[in-house]
Amino acid sequence: MDQRPYKDVNRLITFEGVTKRYPDGTVALDDVSLEAPTGQITVFVGTSGGGKTTALRTINRMVEPTGGRVLIDGEDVRDRQPAQLRRGIGYVIQHAGLFPHRTIEDNIATVPYLLRQSKKQARAKALELMERVGLDAGMAKRYPFQLSGGQQQRVGVARALAADPPIMLMDEPFSAVDPVVRAELQAEFLRLQAELHKTIVFVTHDIDEAIKLGDNIAVFQTGGKLVQFDSPENLLAHPSSEFVADFIGQNRGIRSLSFAPTSELNLRDDLVRPVGGELGDTTGLDWILVVDDARRPLGWVRPGEVTGALSDAQLTSVGPTFEVGASSVRDALDTAVLSLAGLAVGVDESGAVVGVAGGTDLLSVQTHGRDDPGHRPHLHKSAAAKATEAEADALSDDHVPADTGGKDA
Amino acid sequence: MDIDWGWIGEHTSQLTDHAVIHLRLALLPVLFGLMISLPLGVLCRRWGWLYPPSLTIANIFYAIPSLALFMIFVQYTGLTASTVMIPLTLYSLAVLLPNVVDGLGSVAEPVRQAATAMGFGTLRRLVQVELPIAVPVVIAGIRVAAVSSISLVAVGQLIGQGGLGYDILRGYQLDFPTQIFAGTVLIIILALVTDALLVLLQWLLTPWARARRGRAS
Repeated sequence: MDQRPYKDVNRLITFEGVTKRYPDGTVALDDVSLEAPTGQITVFVGTSGGGKTTALRTINRMVEPTGGRVLIDGEDVRDRQPAQLRRGIGYVIQHAGLFPHRTIEDNIATVPYLLRQSKKQARAKALELMERVGLDAGMAKRYPFQLSGGQQQRVGVARALAADPPIMLMDEPFSAVDPVVRAELQAEFLRLQAELHKTIVFVTHDIDEAIKLGDNIAVFQTGGKLVQFDSPENLLAHPSSEFVADFIGQNRGIRSLSFAPTSELNLRDDLVRPVGGELGDTTGLDWILVVDDARRPLGWVRPGEVTGALSDAQLTSVGPTFEVGASSVRDALDTAVLSLAGLAVGVDESGAVVGVAGGTDLLSVQTHGRDDPGHRPHLHKSAAAKATEAEADALSDDHVPADTGGKDA
Repeated sequence: MDIDWGWIGEHTSQLTDHAVIHLRLALLPVLFGLMISLPLGVLCRRWGWLYPPSLTIANIFYAIPSLALFMIFVQYTGLTASTVMIPLTLYSLAVLLPNVVDGLGSVAEPVRQAATAMGFGTLRRLVQVELPIAVPVVIAGIRVAAVSSISLVAVGQLIGQGGLGYDILRGYQLDFPTQIFAGTVLIIILALVTDALLVLLQWLLTPWARARRGRAS
């Protein structure tokens, strides 16, 4: 009997010294130990040949380790029949792998059929899932070849969800679609996860995707070595080795700002003027931000160019703004770079101006993080927050979440 | 060539009987060939080394002229239907085996993996996923095997097994072109109808491939 204490109830998938050595001597996994927590997205990322897919497949026994073991809720996966085990684990792969000879609804209902659910019940569930993943119910009777790559991938996700498994394994599910569709799928995936709270292990070779989606990231190096297992923000701030730093890429400093919250910024209010008000003292100010009665931004103007009333002044468009709290410092910095005034305009949910920040104000947040290496997550994003952000990314061309007009929702 | 239509009218029931015997002699071997090539094809997919020798042996049989094969089998099975059907079964096997293997091979790797990951066992995956997907390629093979078998079985008359081959041979012996004509035309009609039925069968069995063709066009 396994005497392992259940001290950590959040631990769901555990790798204990998992090794996979093929008969020809190739090592695909080298003593990998990690814990993929319940209800979170754990991303396996790495170079090809790094063993990430092999690691994923040890979870549903499509690959049997030659050493160590994989546990689900403290139970060795080898204690269960492979087919039984797999029916309780959703699986999504790169090219969807839909059954070409089955209709969309029957594809989705695959596992319920295997579990001997009635056809009627399984198909009803399939229709519900189609809606959930953003597919038109009219597609239920079609065949996979009649769908686009992105639609097929949605069916793949729905099929994996059909039996409501607590665990989902996803092997490069969004790699084979074009970037626009990929961004959409990622956004919807995070939205789904915010509702469903599955325990997800997600394999990708794309570090940006890993950072966008992952609650935890495991970086694999050639030879099946796990070199770092960390939160995305820690991975960016403190890569454990040169390999990890190289893999993350050149601009990890800028990218780590994605995890710095805008709620901690000291926003300036001294250069904001209501359109009906006076210009007042403008000493030392290059720009004035004119706002309407509801404090929504109207435009920028140089103090020297205002001759009469503010309402008559020629205003320069504000451009994109960021939403204080919901947007990251990276988003804010982006709006500052795009702004003619070089200043980022922070608004609240209703679109009213909270304050303005310049480049140095924005970068001081990151400086704070660098001074304190032990400092843990600046911002641990909930799946819901990530979903909102990713959706905005997918929708806007310039990747700026909150626009001047403010959000409807 | 003068065709005696009156003779044909008087002999419809005899010709019909011959056509039925002919079909039976021709199509049972295809069925047997399919029954052997399906499991053999599955084994060849599973153990790749098995395929080259299996195909080579089947092709050697295919290369032997039917007449010679009949003569060989006459020594063991005498002047019976088996002597006609065993060689035809071997021919069907040579045509069907590659199609079964290719058909199973036409199942995309992600599909196979997805099935495994969904929790299909090996047998269930074969029956519910791999064989259905192999159907178009397998039926293409059955069409070739069936048509060539219908044509070849006429030779079976040489060992007295009847069918429409009887009418062709008899017409030749009696110098009566009408009977040769009737036998030949009926064989062609049987082949065409059988082929059409197989096309229909495939159309019914594979609505998904229909959709695919529609998309491709």
